[in-house]
Amino acid sequence: MRLTSGTKVAAVVATTALLATACSGGGTGGDDAADGPVELTFWTWTPGIEKVVDLWNAENPDIQVTVNKQDGGDPAVTKLLTAIEAGSGAPDLMQAEYQKLPQLVSAGALADISGEVSGDLAGHFPDGVWNAVTLGSDAVYAVPQDSGPMQFYYREDVFAELGLEVPTTWEEYAEVARAVHVSDPTKYLGTFSANDAGWFTGLTQQAGASWYGIEGESWTVAIDSPEVRQVAEYWGGLVEEGAIDNKPMYTPEWNAALNDGSQVGWLSAIWAPGVLAGNAADTAGKWRMAPMPQWDASAPATGNWGGSATAVTSQSEHAAQAAEFVSWLNTDPVAVQALVDESGIYPADIPASTAALADPPEFFANQPDFYELASQTAQTANPFTYGPNINVAYSAYNDEFAKATEARTQDAFVEAVEAVQAATVADLKNSGFSVNE
Amino acid sequence: MTTETTLRGALGGTPTPRRDSPRRSARARSVTSRRAGAPWAFLAPAIVLFVAFLAAPILYALYLSFRTEKVSGLGLGPGSRVEMWNGLTNYVNALADPEFLGSVGRVGLYGLVVVPVMLGSALLFALLLDSRRARARNFSRVAIFLPYAVPAVISSLLWGFLYLPGVSPFYWIFEQLGWDVPSLFSSRLVMFAVANIAVWGGVGFNMVVIYTALKAVPSELYEAAELDGASQVGIAWRIKIPIVLPSIIMTFVFSMIATLQVFAEPMTLRPLSNTISTTWTPLMKVYRDAFTRGDLYSASATSVIIALATFLLSFGFLRLVQSRAFGQEENR
Amino acid sequence: MSVRSATRPSVPATAILILGALYCLLPVAWVVLASTKSAGELFSTLTFLPSTHLFDNIAELVAYRDGLFWRWMANTALYAGVGAALSAVVSAMAGYALAKYRFAGKNAVFNVLLAGVLVPGVVLAIPQYLLLAQVELTNTYWAVLLPSIISPYGIYLARIYAAAAVPDEVVEAARTDGAGELRTFVQVAVPMMLPGLVTVFLFQFVAIWNNFMLPYIMLGDDKLFPLTVGLSGLLNQGASQPAMYTLVVTGALLSVIPLIALFLLLQRFWQVDLAAGAVKA
Repeated sequence: MRLTSGTKVAAVVATTALLATACSGGGTGGDDAADGPVELTFWTWTPGIEKVVDLWNAENPDIQVTVNKQDGGDPAVTKLLTAIEAGSGAPDLMQAEYQKLPQLVSAGALADISGEVSGDLAGHFPDGVWNAVTLGSDAVYAVPQDSGPMQFYYREDVFAELGLEVPTTWEEYAEVARAVHVSDPTKYLGTFSANDAGWFTGLTQQAGASWYGIEGESWTVAIDSPEVRQVAEYWGGLVEEGAIDNKPMYTPEWNAALNDGSQVGWLSAIWAPGVLAGNAADTAGKWRMAPMPQWDASAPATGNWGGSATAVTSQSEHAAQAAEFVSWLNTDPVAVQALVDESGIYPADIPASTAALADPPEFFANQPDFYELASQTAQTANPFTYGPNINVAYSAYNDEFAKATEARTQDAFVEAVEAVQAATVADLKNSGFSVNE
Repeated sequence: MTTETTLRGALGGTPTPRRDSPRRSARARSVTSRRAGAPWAFLAPAIVLFVAFLAAPILYALYLSFRTEKVSGLGLGPGSRVEMWNGLTNYVNALADPEFLGSVGRVGLYGLVVVPVMLGSALLFALLLDSRRARARNFSRVAIFLPYAVPAVISSLLWGFLYLPGVSPFYWIFEQLGWDVPSLFSSRLVMFAVANIAVWGGVGFNMVVIYTALKAVPSELYEAAELDGASQVGIAWRIKIPIVLPSIIMTFVFSMIATLQVFAEPMTLRPLSNTISTTWTPLMKVYRDAFTRGDLYSASATSVIIALATFLLSFGFLRLVQSRAFGQEENR
Repeated sequence: MSVRSATRPSVPATAILILGALYCLLPVAWVVLASTKSAGELFSTLTFLPSTHLFDNIAELVAYRDGLFWRWMANTALYAGVGAALSAVVSAMAGYALAKYRFAGKNAVFNVLLAGVLVPGVVLAIPQYLLLAQVELTNTYWAVLLPSIISPYGIYLARIYAAAAVPDEVVEAARTDGAGELRTFVQVAVPMMLPGLVTVFLFQFVAIWNNFMLPYIMLGDDKLFPLTVGLSGLLNQGASQPAMYTLVVTGALLSVIPLIALFLLLQRFWQVDLAAGAVKA
């Protein structure tokens, strides 16, 4: 069922893409050579990526890429969608987080580049990641750049001082959280952040949830599922008893807490070293990374937080050249090595990443097997499907869980799950999407 | 001459007819007819820009507010989105939306805090600047006006630092003193946290407006009262405030409009707390609908409602002030 | 007693003014102190103790993406400076026409122009974008500059200044001498309105400087960003990037300095008369 609908979609997309190429004055290589080099604009927020792009520009005088730095994730998508709505103003190339892809495809913002990229591209990436850029169809809407498997980061020195063991299950995590807070009421093992929907999504992904699904020609929404409730009840309980903090992450206060050691742990993703180095440089060497605490220790799992792909937009008049660049950027060994060195990302490309990730990040020099461990955890990421209105679900998450964390009760957390589900389904229906309930 | 007319109007007396001689009026009329095109030529750039960058976008928003976009099926293929007429549905939905109504109520309360506090302090500071009895007047005037130069996005960030107990020097002091001061981001206090930023940013501007009006008051008017032994407070209350009332009314109208449009401050503070929702003020709801949800149509309808409400609320005041402020030319 | 008592310094009056001044200077003082701290210190040492890293922070800010910060500064100066100057010209012409001519439709024009005040920038940004996209002007300097020139407040103020500062007699004398309408305006009215026009300029300068939404939505290329959009971007790079609070705090300080200088330089023009227009010299 799923394949058939996907195939249809892909066929339509491909046809339109062909038409678009044909209509845009035959933007083929020959013409472009006559017009001078092809100029491509690239919206991205990856730090240091200009240097990677410089490598490409030096090698490819005919296809010159200009980086336009964007604010992370959401603002870039907002601008892209506005430009699509307006019919002009979109870049040729666009960095997009995986969860945004269904929304962007639904808005007609991305070009299907399945005809432009080589057939063995899929083999470069883990299945789950590749699935995210094809939406389970034959189309290719983007090429994966990085992924964000989640791990547990903790202050080794504080753990040692308090004689604590690294938690391997969520039950142990709760006990450690209590022990940390009892030892010093200003200290917490972590915080429940109502501001970071992607973080919560990753936690539910680990528990086996998938917020959306496709059944035939309809979407299903499973935010109010046993798995999500389980996660919400767990965190609601910890917040209610006061064992963990209830303030948002990424605030100046949270930065201060990382610096002075009152946040003793952080459930984060593979890019955490960069954030920790930027926010709490003085704590270098005091942190360690471990796999996530588990619901079922016999079947280790993790979720993803963050990670993005590079897409070609539907307004690009040089889809072929753009696709060529995107493939190079995310799979060429030189490019991937540069992405790791200059941007500090965790590449999604499997063949190139092994060599690129030989050394641990500087901030975790005390953990030589950092990337080895990370790659083990990355392989345990559960499958997950995002839907076309994840933006609505995420903004409902912000509002509903803000109320719940402020109320500090377990019941409020469960109610928040129900409210996010309701808001998401109502919006899908209101927009006219076909929804199976 | 001008000052005199204005003062009479401001003091509430009957507007004095200008002492225009019939001769001059007749000549003025002939000049007017001869140069009928001139005012339009002077207005042309303003009108062209107004039409292009205010009127057209407003009309476009109005058009969008009656439309909607419907998706079909999975919504993943091109052409699965169709724009269509939606009648008044967007308006009905907005007016029935508890989040929108909540944000309106919140802004109403917020205005009750911000406007009196801001204008009250602005008036107080202006009177003190105008009284010759306060020292450090130049310094204070510049200092109080300074926040006007700080963009709301930046000022909110700075205040955010000062509010967060974990990084605020104030909370450090409170802690040393052994006081248990609740976080300004707690649900009870968050409105005051936002209001404080608005007051901080706006008091100086309004002070300058009122101070300018006070400086226009001829000192003879109250020197007599001083000689009669009237106190400074009495003079301020009975002479100065009535004279600058038109300016106060104008600052009131503009402050009210700014209050209804409050956006940048809560928007910047939102990620720092759990107590500011994405629809905390009406404009934040517009932003969320348009930018986060990509629903331009609902956002447009909500914007039209906000603009109309602003218009109705300020209309009476504007009429009042216009008749005072421009009384002097209307008689010509 | 009487007149002399009015000039005797009063302690409570001075105290209230100083208190108000301190309240307004507090966050400014904080930003000065905070910008002297390293990233670690900003979050770990008491805020009201200065540190020694101001120049390191400035150097880091300047080094950020090959000096992009200066580009943002220059862009801001361009948007706010040129935009406000053009706005003052357009407002002066419109205000003069509304104050010094009688013609049919005058009040209607004025009321419609003034109604522009009622529509907030957030609401306008998207329709403005969609319309400018039709003429392919988005993501250019024009996209921010052109919509910033029209200012209902500016026209309102200019009308008041023209009414107050330009006596009819002078205008008519110029006309009697045979001066054309334009020459009368440029050579007679504008010099008289000048202090008021400086206020309009400053007013619009601050308004453009403050307008976050318009450049935020119009510009995709960060080389065109004004400071506010650029700095806010340093804080919002997504979850996988640290928020660059140190750079933003230092940037906030550096960006406010020129504006403060401008204010001090032009402070004698800061006479915003919203109602009467009568300003004592």
